[in-house]
Amino acid sequence: MPLGSVVFAFVVGGLLVAATGGNPFSAYAGLICGGFGVGCTQGENPALQISNTIVFLTPLIATGVAVALPFRAGLFNIGAEGQLLAGSMACTAIGIKFSTLPTPILLPMVLIGGMVAGALWAGVAGVLKATVGAHEVVTTIMMNYVAQWLLRYLIIGGPLQLASGTSKSLPIGPGARLATLLPSDNSLIVFGLPASVYRVHTGLFIAIAAVAIFAFLLWRTTLGYDIRAVGQSQRAARYAGVSVRRTIIVTMLIAGAFSGLAGAIQIAGVDHNLTDKYFSDTTGFDAIAVALLGLGSAVGIVLASLLFGALHAGGSVMQSDAGISSNLVLVLQALILFSIAANFLGAIRQLIPGLRRPPTAPPRETPSAALMTEAAAPPPEAISK
Amino acid sequence: MGQTRLRLFGLVAVALMVAAACGGSTATPPAKQYKIGLVTDIGGLNDKSFNHLAYVGLQKAITDFNVKGDVKESKTGDDYVPNLTNFASTNYDLVIGVGFLMQEAVGTVSGQFPNIHFAIIDGAGTDAKGNDLKHANVESLYFREQDAGAMVGVISGMLEKQGKLKNNKGVISAVGGISIPPVDHYIAGYKWAATMEDPGIKVLVGYSNDFTDPAKCKGVAQGQINGGSDVVFQVAGGCGLGALQAAGQAGVKSIGVDADQKDADPSVIASALKKVDVATYTAIKDVVNGQFPGGALTFDIQNGGAGYSVDNFSLPADIQAEVTKVQGEIAAGTLTPPDKIPA
Repeated sequence: MPLGSVVFAFVVGGLLVAATGGNPFSAYAGLICGGFGVGCTQGENPALQISNTIVFLTPLIATGVAVALPFRAGLFNIGAEGQLLAGSMACTAIGIKFSTLPTPILLPMVLIGGMVAGALWAGVAGVLKATVGAHEVVTTIMMNYVAQWLLRYLIIGGPLQLASGTSKSLPIGPGARLATLLPSDNSLIVFGLPASVYRVHTGLFIAIAAVAIFAFLLWRTTLGYDIRAVGQSQRAARYAGVSVRRTIIVTMLIAGAFSGLAGAIQIAGVDHNLTDKYFSDTTGFDAIAVALLGLGSAVGIVLASLLFGALHAGGSVMQSDAGISSNLVLVLQALILFSIAANFLGAIRQLIPGLRRPPTAPPRETPSAALMTEAAAPPPEAISK
Repeated sequence: MGQTRLRLFGLVAVALMVAAACGGSTATPPAKQYKIGLVTDIGGLNDKSFNHLAYVGLQKAITDFNVKGDVKESKTGDDYVPNLTNFASTNYDLVIGVGFLMQEAVGTVSGQFPNIHFAIIDGAGTDAKGNDLKHANVESLYFREQDAGAMVGVISGMLEKQGKLKNNKGVISAVGGISIPPVDHYIAGYKWAATMEDPGIKVLVGYSNDFTDPAKCKGVAQGQINGGSDVVFQVAGGCGLGALQAAGQAGVKSIGVDADQKDADPSVIASALKKVDVATYTAIKDVVNGQFPGGALTFDIQNGGAGYSVDNFSLPADIQAEVTKVQGEIAAGTLTPPDKIPA
């Protein structure tokens, strides 16, 4: 189904390009060049394009996990963006405050600080859901606004502002920074360009580790079993002795920690300071699409992040090479989401008798969560058989 | 779908990436046609403001100098560095960053590509702390926004003083995006000139802390109108379009910024103009003529880089006369609007 959604989006997107007088093939050639460094016509450096894609996909992986995990518990975490901002703010504050500490001490501090901040941010929604039943969609969205305005306060007139007349913070200390894979050196030439243009940093490995931890947690631990049980049916889980309230709160805390980690990685690995660009950051919202497209599975999240990272990086190359507005990328993302949410490819399959499958699962309380049950993405042991 | 097929796909993808990475770039040197790359900020080309004007300047240069002009629109702030780097790494002769918010990105990338020319509207190439790195390959295109702000300040101050506007409480206002120099310059000139025309006038100044979301500026403007403001001057890019709408809905007047914004809302009576098109065109011309000076260029009323337009409104003769007089005095240097907002 996810692959079908992507194909559907690209076909419809291509038709849109053609209908508005563009050439869909050159548009997609530009996208592929910008995303994967393949088939470039204007002398783009392939290594640079791949590096840009990896920089974009790194935070998507961690935030994708932060959406996918609550999905498994039947919770819809729209607040990954706010949790990411909370993580980036905590990381920056710690990275400035203790800027003289050496890397072995400060780097874990800023990353853990970001995770704790993200966890607290999501934990509010978890506690409200578990105690008074406040819907997590509403509370997490509200917490996004709180984070955004807190960020504006902090760097415009607030304690983290660099100087009046600016909208950014001081840079974090050198010890708080994640190393780039290549030295950040303007004079060292790698693949024909200064090494400093390749911004891929070790946060990539942290994100991969995060997604591995997610898979382990979900399929190999008691907590993971509880989360899936609550997602399948709260009543059945309760009957089986699972504390639904505790599971909801813990799930949100862990999810928030993943998002907060993404924010901290972004500050420690790429930006090194909080700036106004976080006002327009959409990583936490793209993560919802990533989690849906990846069917909430670890491998799926990585692949979907790769696709969205490549789309993000490819859009501007497509615009300058093929003259197609990079808004096409947003259209493609929307079409992918649309076709997943509407699940109409599945509906088409149901209409064709030869392809009809037995109904997969009974209707559940949260329809969105039904997309990510075992039926949609079987556990690893089931695949390997 | 088979897991094996998925694995195979992954392997092929990785192999392609490795092959591509080792391949290196294979640019063939074309006949000398100058290549100009324009990177917009998150406002995008259709912001009816300075990104749009930069594009107008680029189009004019394409016609006049037969240059190749390409655009990359930044969707988020994360795009600034990759967009600038992509142009620079494909040997564009000039890479133009539109906007103050791109300063740090221009500073970083211009250091990586010392042989590529860069120009930046409203700023310089800076380090993370905002210090100008003074790279010789960067041309800073600054504006005396206070000149343009003063023009619309004269109009607003005199209109309010004549007492024919709706609230008539001696109050006008400005909605800024973020309190950064190019925004505050406009407001400084506006307040200074309005106070010059009517020493008793009250000028409310508010910030939305945003440049893209019209709803935020609309809220700030509505607050000011409730406080008696009769003229709302927007200095907040795409966000400010909301301020113009708020003025229109409340039946008071508004003033556009950067470009002539008469089409943005019927309430717009004038616009403070910042000729980003002139600046962009000048930078391209410098590169084409082989006379790229680097350093700072300033555009103001005197060299035609700043000004005003009167929109959806016919200016009374006495106001028109005063505006023309003040414009002449600023151009001659006998009047100098301040760059900091007066108390």
